[in-house]
Amino acid sequence: MLWYKSWLETRWRFLIGLALLIVSATGTVLVYPRVAGILAAPPKVDVSGEIGRRVMEAIELSRDYRGYVWSQWFRQNMPQMWVLFAVLIGTGGLLSQGSGGGALFTLSLPITRQRLLAIRAATGLAELVVMAFVPSLFVTMFSPAIGQSYSLGDALVHSACLFIAGTTFFSLAFLLSTVFADIWRPALLACLVAAALAVTAEVVREFWRFSVFRVMTAEIYFRDGRLPWLGLLASAALSTAMLYAAARNISRQDF
Amino acid sequence: MGATVRDAPVIEAVDLRKSYEGVEAVRGLNLEVPAGSIFGFLGRNGAGKTTTIKVLLGMARPTGGGVRVFGLPADSPEASVDIRRRTGFVSEDKDLYDYMDVGEMIRLTASFYPRWRADLAQRYLRAFELPPDRKVKALSRGMRTKLALLLALCRGAELLILDEPTSGLDPAVTEEVLQALVTHVASEAMTVFFSSHQIAEVDQIADRIAIIDRGRTIVSGALDDLRENFRRVQLVFDGAAPEVEFSAPGVVRVRRNGRVLSVLSNAGAERVIEKGRAFGAVSVDVVPVTLKEIFLETVAAED
Repeated sequence: MLWYKSWLETRWRFLIGLALLIVSATGTVLVYPRVAGILAAPPKVDVSGEIGRRVMEAIELSRDYRGYVWSQWFRQNMPQMWVLFAVLIGTGGLLSQGSGGGALFTLSLPITRQRLLAIRAATGLAELVVMAFVPSLFVTMFSPAIGQSYSLGDALVHSACLFIAGTTFFSLAFLLSTVFADIWRPALLACLVAAALAVTAEVVREFWRFSVFRVMTAEIYFRDGRLPWLGLLASAALSTAMLYAAARNISRQDF
Repeated sequence: MGATVRDAPVIEAVDLRKSYEGVEAVRGLNLEVPAGSIFGFLGRNGAGKTTTIKVLLGMARPTGGGVRVFGLPADSPEASVDIRRRTGFVSEDKDLYDYMDVGEMIRLTASFYPRWRADLAQRYLRAFELPPDRKVKALSRGMRTKLALLLALCRGAELLILDEPTSGLDPAVTEEVLQALVTHVASEAMTVFFSSHQIAEVDQIADRIAIIDRGRTIVSGALDDLRENFRRVQLVFDGAAPEVEFSAPGVVRVRRNGRVLSVLSNAGAERVIEKGRAFGAVSVDVVPVTLKEIFLETVAAED
């Protein structure tokens, strides 16, 4: 029943996120014929500078359907939206519920705080798995509708990388929720960290090699067919460490 | 309930201390709650009642002293799970999950307690007129209290801990809740530990009490014994009452008012009368003391 309780607490964040991601995935696929049409004409953009270079790169990638899906979906729309909902699902819990919000009732049940936290984390992670895989499967599923095909294997690999690396933001929000007794500070701080990392990786090219977003987008897999094992392991280790710290933190709290 | 069971304390706190960021909420509290008793835990707002209860249930960790429930250390996370498995609890705010309906709250709670009393749950659902499909957030305060009580009573618990169970309720609902509690305890072998600052309800249902103030126990014992031992002795003198230190054993408070010296004693009246006569009292009047007076006088004596 604790699983059910955790599900009830996070279901709207999950369902809204899933719906938005599915709509976005479907839209990305269905808009491709128009994009391909536009790309047939020579681009009328200023190609100087970093932004110009990126625009040109996106245009070049989009000449091929696999490149378009990676560039628009797995590199842009999906990570941005997914991280936002990972943070939202990671926030909340015992500390923010406080007195009057159900925390004392929960703590009066014969269950350890570690188990409570583990169930909440597992529920959140299960929701994020669904949010990582299902929208990407829609890409594979809807591609034939526009006369294209997208490999199921590619969709699964990109979704897995997104989930494993992106879980660090869920874990960060989860950890911050054991520090601050409201839902806004953990959510805002985790979003700020994600935004700062994303902007830094975009502005400082050297940082991109080490960016968690590069692991999330599985750029190495897209370009070379290799999995970013080191990045995935590092992300998983960081997530585990933050979840462990959250468990330690909550076990020390007074309510 | 047999005498042997009654002898073993269900709750035992020795020099219990709890501080929050340097502020002492509980400072050296001693408590002994015998099995089978209905124990009223009285104190003013902020006296340390809720903090003590949170320590008993492992929600807050003591900063000093020791507390055992069922003989288990309440500050041990593992033992605390066992304590909570054997304890029903109603918090002051009637903490429940607003997003669940009544039926879901019952099913969720039942899933944690192997000795859950489904028959009782059905009976209380009907008696309290709780609609199973209504969301908790849509319940009135009285209904919410009744649901919280149902969830605590049906756990098959040996100990019931209630933090201000009737706070915010109208007199009719208060009476209904107290009656349900008394009826339940009469038919089940259990200990009840409830905090309150409503002296009338403590007087109505408790057989033992502790009065705490500023985190310390100032009075504790069986209610009948306290009623027996606490006496107010009015000593009347010919002239103004003497300005002497009245230091007889058991004297809690002394008040002077013209020719009258009013002495509150917790050890009977004899020694006070002796002392009064020695000071030249011409008239002595001994009156029993109500729980309300005991509470007000002992708490005032601490100020």
